Amino acid sequence: MNFRIPILKLRDTLIVSIQWELDDQTAIQFQEDLLNKLHETSARGVVIDLTSVDFIDSFIAKVLGDVISMSSLMGARVVITGIQPAVAITLIELGIRLEDVMTALDLENGLDKLQLELEA
Amino acid sequence: MNKQMAEYIQANNTEIIARWQKLMAKENNNQSFQTMPTDLMNQTSKEFADLMVSNLLESHQAYENRLNDFAEKVVRLGWTMTVVTKAIDHFSEVVFEGMEEDGLITQENFRGFFKEFNNWIIPIRDSTVEAYSKTWERTVSLQKIALQELSASLIPVFEKVSVMPLVGTIDTERARLIMENLLDGVVKHRAEVVLLDITGVPVVDTMVAHHIIQAADAVRLVGAKCMLVGIRPEIAQTIVTLGINLNEFTTTSTLQRGVAQALAWTNRKIVEVDEQ
Repeated sequence: MNFRIPILKLRDTLIVSIQWELDDQTAIQFQEDLLNKLHETSARGVVIDLTSVDFIDSFIAKVLGDVISMSSLMGARVVITGIQPAVAITLIELGIRLEDVMTALDLENGLDKLQLELEA
Repeated sequence: MNKQMAEYIQANNTEIIARWQKLMAKENNNQSFQTMPTDLMNQTSKEFADLMVSNLLESHQAYENRLNDFAEKVVRLGWTMTVVTKAIDHFSEVVFEGMEEDGLITQENFRGFFKEFNNWIIPIRDSTVEAYSKTWERTVSLQKIALQELSASLIPVFEKVSVMPLVGTIDTERARLIMENLLDGVVKHRAEVVLLDITGVPVVDTMVAHHIIQAADAVRLVGAKCMLVGIRPEIAQTIVTLGINLNEFTTTSTLQRGVAQALAWTNRKIVEVDEQ
């Protein structure tokens, strides 16, 4: 089984909603897909929504961190939204601080934040 | 032999208690014993003696009930565990000596009585200690619950702004509770800025600072900002002396200034209304 995570384009923003637990393969696939899509559309912002994700392991966290750095290399800002309290605690306990990453409570706030950031 | 012992104790009840009280009074670190009023003292001693005898005569169930009542009473009176075990020791000592003086225990049956005494005293001591520690455990757990109810609630003060006042020493368990309440509260109240008020935290050492930094990081991950307010002068001194790096945080001295800053972050401010 190899799901692909859908990447939606809304004006100059890409929206990704992760709906199930990522396995390593899917995560890598997602990284490639997102970067390709960024290249195709020359979007300036990405919102990754993790509201329905209950668990993140260190590998997935690393991939997310990588995706964020890679996207900013390609000139797009990334906002991660909807990290659950339990997930946040796990990440902190694993020592993954995701520094320099923009976060927001939900998709709406995330889009607002991104808009502000892009206007500035 | 059991019966013989019980009969002896019942027959010489007053004398035994008097001797036992004398022995107990000698224990110099035994303040609760000395400050107790005489009639209460006598009554408790009587109860204690009854308890000791009941183990010999009554059924197991009756003894258990009596023991629990007594243990609870003793805890309320503030006797320490040391005193209670001492009391049991002294009681058996007095009875043994008394029976020896009366010629009930002789060279021949000494061994048998010795065994009998052990069989009598050791279970009493064990069950007293157990009843005692159970009562204490209950008290402690009740207090713990009370403390948990008091600690760490997140208060929404404005839309998008919440405050968590921290009072009292922060240990690892409390830090975990604080973090959970903080994150759940942020999501529930849809807060964008959380103010952690440490005015009531007496000591900030490296461990407490570590917990606070972790909590602030986690808050950032769920998508809000965390601000540390209520830093007293001595806390500021400790933090710098210990070399704790709080540079990534916004910190202010008072909650008032923190609230003003939080409002500024959410594009609002407090304005005075003109008096008409």
